[in-house]
Amino acid sequence: MGAGPAGAAAALTAARAGASVVLLERGPFPGSKNVYGGVVYGRVLDEVLPRWWEEVPVQRWVTRRSTMVLTETQALTVDFRTVAWGEAPYNGCTTFRSDFDSWLAGKAVEAGAQLVTSTVATGLIREGGTVVGVRTDRPDGDLRAKVVIAADGVNSFLAKELGLLPSTDAAHLTLGVKEVLSLPREVIDERFGVRGDEGVDVEILGCTRGIPGGGFVYTNKETVSVGVVVSLEHLTAAKVRPEELIADLKAHPAIAPWVRGAEVKEYAAHLIPEGGYDHFPTLHADGLLVAGDAAGMCLAAGIWLEGVNFAIGSGLAAGRAAAAAAQTGADLASYRKDLESTFVLQDHKRLRKAPGLVLSPRVQGQYPGLIADLVEGMFTVTNPTPKPGVVRLLRAAANKHGVKLRHLAVDALAGGRTFR
Amino acid sequence: MLIVALLRCTDLRAEVDPLTGAVSRDPRTASLSAADAAALEHALRIADTWGGRVLALTAGGPEADGPLREALALGAEVRRVPLHSSYIEELAVDERSLAKLVVSALGENRPDLVLCADRSADRGTGALPAFVAHELGVVQAPGLVALQVEGDQLVAERRLDFGRRERMRVPLPAVCSVEGAGVRLRRASLPASLAAANATIPLVDVALPASPVRVVQARPTRPRPRHLPAPTGTSRERLLALTGALLSHEPPTVVGPVGAAEAADALLDFLVRHGYLSEARTGWAVP
Repeated sequence: MGAGPAGAAAALTAARAGASVVLLERGPFPGSKNVYGGVVYGRVLDEVLPRWWEEVPVQRWVTRRSTMVLTETQALTVDFRTVAWGEAPYNGCTTFRSDFDSWLAGKAVEAGAQLVTSTVATGLIREGGTVVGVRTDRPDGDLRAKVVIAADGVNSFLAKELGLLPSTDAAHLTLGVKEVLSLPREVIDERFGVRGDEGVDVEILGCTRGIPGGGFVYTNKETVSVGVVVSLEHLTAAKVRPEELIADLKAHPAIAPWVRGAEVKEYAAHLIPEGGYDHFPTLHADGLLVAGDAAGMCLAAGIWLEGVNFAIGSGLAAGRAAAAAAQTGADLASYRKDLESTFVLQDHKRLRKAPGLVLSPRVQGQYPGLIADLVEGMFTVTNPTPKPGVVRLLRAAANKHGVKLRHLAVDALAGGRTFR
Repeated sequence: MLIVALLRCTDLRAEVDPLTGAVSRDPRTASLSAADAAALEHALRIADTWGGRVLALTAGGPEADGPLREALALGAEVRRVPLHSSYIEELAVDERSLAKLVVSALGENRPDLVLCADRSADRGTGALPAFVAHELGVVQAPGLVALQVEGDQLVAERRLDFGRRERMRVPLPAVCSVEGAGVRLRRASLPASLAAANATIPLVDVALPASPVRVVQARPTRPRPRHLPAPTGTSRERLLALTGALLSHEPPTVVGPVGAAEAADALLDFLVRHGYLSEARTGWAVP
């Protein structure tokens, strides 16, 4: 169910394994209703689509990765670029979901899956507690299947129907909002210091008025995606509209020169499951597997913000498990074991504490200002007064922002343990 | 009985570059307009009632195959006449040539009824139905908002000016062009959609008749500049003319507070007095 990256990947592996596969999509074509930030890391495709980079509908290959800390008037950027990411086999790319999802679903269709669009799954067909198919909104729309893979997104109604997902779970969801801004290609190249198919990925901390979350800027061919991802609960409590946060970000002195004169081409918003490893739903039931956003497969670990590759990884595993179950009656519990043997659950498990740390009040509200003031102090020339020592500057910045040094030590230790 | 649904499949959300006027069409979003969908639904309903068969015919590129598969899943036969899919090349195809093309694609199968959209969503000249009727030598009923079978007759309803409607019997054979109103295209069942999902759409290879139209350039449509005469008189005079100050005019009338009936009488009286409403049409005795 769902022809996003997880559903299409599942359909691809299941069809290749010889199973009879129907891929149902509610939109008029795969990707037509899907939203994400903007970067896909396609290494996970190597095993199923060798040399995928030669045909993936790419906007730009990310060769420059920046992490930025903002306060209202300051910006600190750690900028990394490498030529290697601009050459095969590449690392990550910006792409539009309408293009990428259509391409991946096309691969599933080539493998033998049958794609049916403009069809919504309205419920599960169950017999004695076992899922034996889905109901759709089409006339005569019951479709029976040995295995149903719920890859129907963050608000998976199929998983909710079985009680695998809570009906509401605002505490573990974030809201991503973005604007796609139109600029001439040469202007983007000049402003972001890239050329050809090279692209930039900027992740930002401290641009959300203290609401836990972050921001991003990604370059496409002739557009720039600018957006924020914020905690749904805290956004509601702050009574701030998300478009105000994007407006703030676009007006920031460090961001405004990049997007000056750009025209808004598209505005989009979507929920993101950022609960991490400790809040995954049960990944399988009798006759049903859960994959992609429906299973919370989104890694939000500060410097790593990845979703599509985890969706694909979980989809590939779901397709393998479903084909085995349909053909040999294998237990669907093999799905979880398969995921545990791959990066999908291993990365999530290793970084299980990251969401809590990254979204903590100090990291979100106090550290951006502390870091920016520390760096400003280091590089402000105070002649004729001698340069202050770094420790003195750190103490002053910590005092200014209400951070005790023991808090710094505690968080440094927690960070070390989380990202070790 | 053969009913032909003559369909236009195009990107309904094509992007137009505001500066160059270049049109970007996405083949994935090619679909039927509301009027084309209504034409197909009418065709299916009439065929259901009279026991005819429906042929969904379109002239276009492979992007039309998706909507045609939907028609196939609904029980229609389908045919596609391969045609240029480039926007500029399409511009060179005038409606008369297109009408000749689709009629020749029908071959010996002379339809009893042709249903199509009153005008296409992208080109919108509304001339094609008339040319098709001319080529077939049959009557034409344009601008229909309703079409139904009453016994052995086809009764159509047209939208006229001033909110009036015209009901008429349509003798067959005929070409009926409909607006996107009154009916909604039925959804195909899931088994039918699955069966049609990978169907090959039959192509009818007929040559496009020579067109008298030759497109040499395509530019964005811009309104002609309006000639504005230079201002005359002093600035004070111009200001007075613009604001209407110092001129006699009817001051606002405050009526009431009164009941609803008196307020309605007062409004009707005002409209009649100023010529917006004739006394006869109100049906009211105006004092």
